[in-house]
Amino acid sequence: MFKIAVVTLLTSLGLASFSVTSLAAEDAWLVLQKAAFAARELNYQGIFVYQNGNQVRSVQITHMNNAGQELTRNMVLDNRVYNKKSPAKQPREVFSQGSDIVIFHPKNDKVIIEKRRGQNLFPAILPVNLKSLKESYTARMGALDDVAGRQAQIIELIPKDAYRYSYKIWADVQFGLLVKMTLLKEDNEALEQITFQELSMLNSQDLNWFQPSIDLTKKYEMEEAVLPSRVNSNWIVAELPPGYVKVDHIEFMVNGKSSPVNQMIFSDGIASVSLFIEPIAKGTRPKIGHHLIGTTHICANVIESYQVMVVGEVPLATVQQIANAVSFRKQTALNR
Amino acid sequence: MKDQLSALIDGEFDVENAEHLIKSVKSGGELKDCWQHYHLIGDAMRSEMVLSQGFTERVMNALNEEPTVLAPHAIEKPLAKTTFFKSNQIWSVAASVAAVMFVGLMLLQQQLTGAEDSSPVEIAQSMPLEYLEAHHAAAPNGAAYYIQNVSHSGTGQ
Repeated sequence: MFKIAVVTLLTSLGLASFSVTSLAAEDAWLVLQKAAFAARELNYQGIFVYQNGNQVRSVQITHMNNAGQELTRNMVLDNRVYNKKSPAKQPREVFSQGSDIVIFHPKNDKVIIEKRRGQNLFPAILPVNLKSLKESYTARMGALDDVAGRQAQIIELIPKDAYRYSYKIWADVQFGLLVKMTLLKEDNEALEQITFQELSMLNSQDLNWFQPSIDLTKKYEMEEAVLPSRVNSNWIVAELPPGYVKVDHIEFMVNGKSSPVNQMIFSDGIASVSLFIEPIAKGTRPKIGHHLIGTTHICANVIESYQVMVVGEVPLATVQQIANAVSFRKQTALNR
Repeated sequence: MKDQLSALIDGEFDVENAEHLIKSVKSGGELKDCWQHYHLIGDAMRSEMVLSQGFTERVMNALNEEPTVLAPHAIEKPLAKTTFFKSNQIWSVAASVAAVMFVGLMLLQQQLTGAEDSSPVEIAQSMPLEYLEAHHAAAPNGAAYYIQNVSHSGTGQ
């Protein structure tokens, strides 16, 4: 009788320890899922610090979900532009409404208004659908830590191959919000870090903050519209690094260039890479080779008479593979 | 006054009492600039299609500078007096001139391409930063977005 009890106890212990590890992985993904939603659904205000090499920026963020629509204002607090006429410092302001972004960018005696499209801005850096991330990364539950005076759970996103870096993510225990993120190289050296220094939840629904601070002594100018158009050209990338899919393909004109530049964007869910293709302009020498600027790898290649340029905050192997896999599909009557 | 103007644009100011505002906007000067700024900002924030300042002026200038096409002008008289066949002839002359020009351009382009020093250069020697900016603008990953245009100091150009 006693013996049976021991055996049962041992078996259940074994089962328990097995399910604890798989549960931990499951839990880690749940924390990330909650973080992805929290960043988009909660109303909050705070200051986060972005660090990349010797660059540091403080940004004040206000985020509100107004009946399903996300409104965000990001004010870059450093690097404010001083104006002789008005001693008040005017910060660069980035407004986003859904995926439309409007940037008010003070430049000398002007304020340039730039319009962009974008998504997944901090702290909403995780996609709502984690499927693609699960294919390329393993999630691991880490320790508890303090961020901006709040308790946070650390989750590690470990890449399954060498085509991406690893991420460390801190999620607020109480609200689930992502409060800190570190991008780590293969040797665990931090490449980039974004962390909240102050964070508070907003209770009001007041939207008065969603407007730029206007400096009447300055001239407001709309940036020359470089309206990109969606295209479906004949460029194909034969073999993308595993986990990366094409998320966008645009074409735009660049000042001083006679032919449009094709830009394709690939992402594995969190990391993104841009591929640029353009005809080699008369009188310019094509570029080849690769280079690292900060955390961004750039790889150049020449395919037929086109300049190919691949740019991304990813390992060199990733940009190299994409740069070498580009080819031009001859236009035929069939696929026209 | 500027606050009132802003309120007027937002529809929060009684138009009937706004005569003084409209007058000063009309008379030009600072308030007129204000009026334009407020509208530009408003349009930008409402995500409406905005034509940049001076757009009309630029289009008009561009139209003025557009070379006068001689062919249609030449038709004017013949159309009135001559047969349809004749005016058609003029058209085909114009078309062939265009075609010759096109072929000429193509040849010129080819010659130019052939003449250049096309040996590739190592990327590190002349870093194309515009690609970096375009990457950050279209594929924002995290905070790189707020840092655009400032992160490029100290790199080889």
